[in-house]
Amino acid sequence: MVIRSSQTESRKNMLQLGHRLMLAASIVTLLSGCATTELAGNNAVNPDDPYESFNRTIFGFNNSVDSYVAKPVSDAYRWITPDFMQTGVYNFFNNLKNVNVVLNDVLQAKFEQGAQDTGRLALNTTLGLGGLFDVAKSVGWHQNDEDFEQTLAVWGVPQGSYLVLPLLGPSTARGIPGSVFDTAANPATYIGMPVQLLSFLNARANAEGALKFIDEAALDPYVFTRESFLQWRNNLATDGKMDSSTNLLDLEDELETSTKPTKK
Amino acid sequence: MLTNIKLIVILVGYLLTSSAFAQTDSSASAKQIVEKFQSDLIAVMKEGKQLGYAGRYTKLQEAVINSHDLSKIARIVVGKEGEKLSEEQQQKLDEVFSKLSIASYAHNFKDYSGESFVFDSEEQTTRGGVVIHSHLVIPDDKPVKFDYMLKEKGNSWRIINIIANGVSDLALKRSEYTTILQREGFDALIAKINEKIDTYSKQ
Repeated sequence: MVIRSSQTESRKNMLQLGHRLMLAASIVTLLSGCATTELAGNNAVNPDDPYESFNRTIFGFNNSVDSYVAKPVSDAYRWITPDFMQTGVYNFFNNLKNVNVVLNDVLQAKFEQGAQDTGRLALNTTLGLGGLFDVAKSVGWHQNDEDFEQTLAVWGVPQGSYLVLPLLGPSTARGIPGSVFDTAANPATYIGMPVQLLSFLNARANAEGALKFIDEAALDPYVFTRESFLQWRNNLATDGKMDSSTNLLDLEDELETSTKPTKK
Repeated sequence: MLTNIKLIVILVGYLLTSSAFAQTDSSASAKQIVEKFQSDLIAVMKEGKQLGYAGRYTKLQEAVINSHDLSKIARIVVGKEGEKLSEEQQQKLDEVFSKLSIASYAHNFKDYSGESFVFDSEEQTTRGGVVIHSHLVIPDDKPVKFDYMLKEKGNSWRIINIIANGVSDLALKRSEYTTILQREGFDALIAKINEKIDTYSKQ
């Protein structure tokens, strides 16, 4: 009986995953559909963001969903749960995510880091009581950030256009297959609904600081989010090695052109 | 014979380094500019609470102006759109942009919990700029990488870009400012900047 119910549970989860894949696929077709009309409009300022006006619409939609649904629920969660429990929940999901991190370490041939991340996963799952406590941090093993999108980048897959997905937020053409694989490889996906809701609440609660910062600092929140997202992803994919040299070359070209006298 | 060569090498080495020092002596080096700014920032954070927003603003105004080339930054962030601005508009932009830069420092660096800046390395760029690589150590948290790009201005160095964990402040601002200028125009940009300065001063 138990076995059978867990089988139906996992089948249900596979179905959910199938739905997500279909959703992602339909979004891609939808976007490639608007590609021609959008480009013909020639509104695009940034070559990374040819679907800007479409993306802005979704960005606005996501923002209203966030302020009317996600933020109130997440605020309530932060209000009713004590800090140590929030940390525990964060650690728990973070630990599960390390299955992905190890997998991607190997796929990117980072074997040394992979060994350390495996140790991290093992230590936190055992001594850290299933991941509730981050014991590995006190040993000096810091959390590494690896995912399938970064692996695809390392393999030479181009980033593609910037896309804002309904409910899921900023991504790129390369990010979509990346998240599909990430979702499939993460054990949290197969645990079931209440846990996924908790995972979502935890993610939203943790993003509070960043979202508040964007709200305060951005003159154009859409552009601010896009630029910081793309730069941040690029920095992760190159492990921070590429940033200064490439960034600076572009910048110096920019300097040359903009320091020319513009007085009329 | 060997000792003689050694002596010459040492002597030449000494001459080279001393002349290099002599050059940087007359004006602050890029590294000194960055380190002075970082220590000013930490000092303001330490007394952030007592100073209050206005107090932090006054102290940081001097620190930012003495280390950044704000008018150059203001020109870069509007990019090609800058060509369409009149002299008067350019001046207005310079003025509010400086205020915003100082205000955002005064707002974001208001308290201290043991942070410190550590110098990593110095790099020359192809077109005569210097990059100072450093990082901010935060207790119980991952360090944040800070790369400062400087250009020579007169006989001193000035910061024109800060790259925090790979995110370039200048690139971010340039995208925002050019987009707003294209979509909404100059007056909307100035209004948005003033609005930000206002919210920063209130919190």
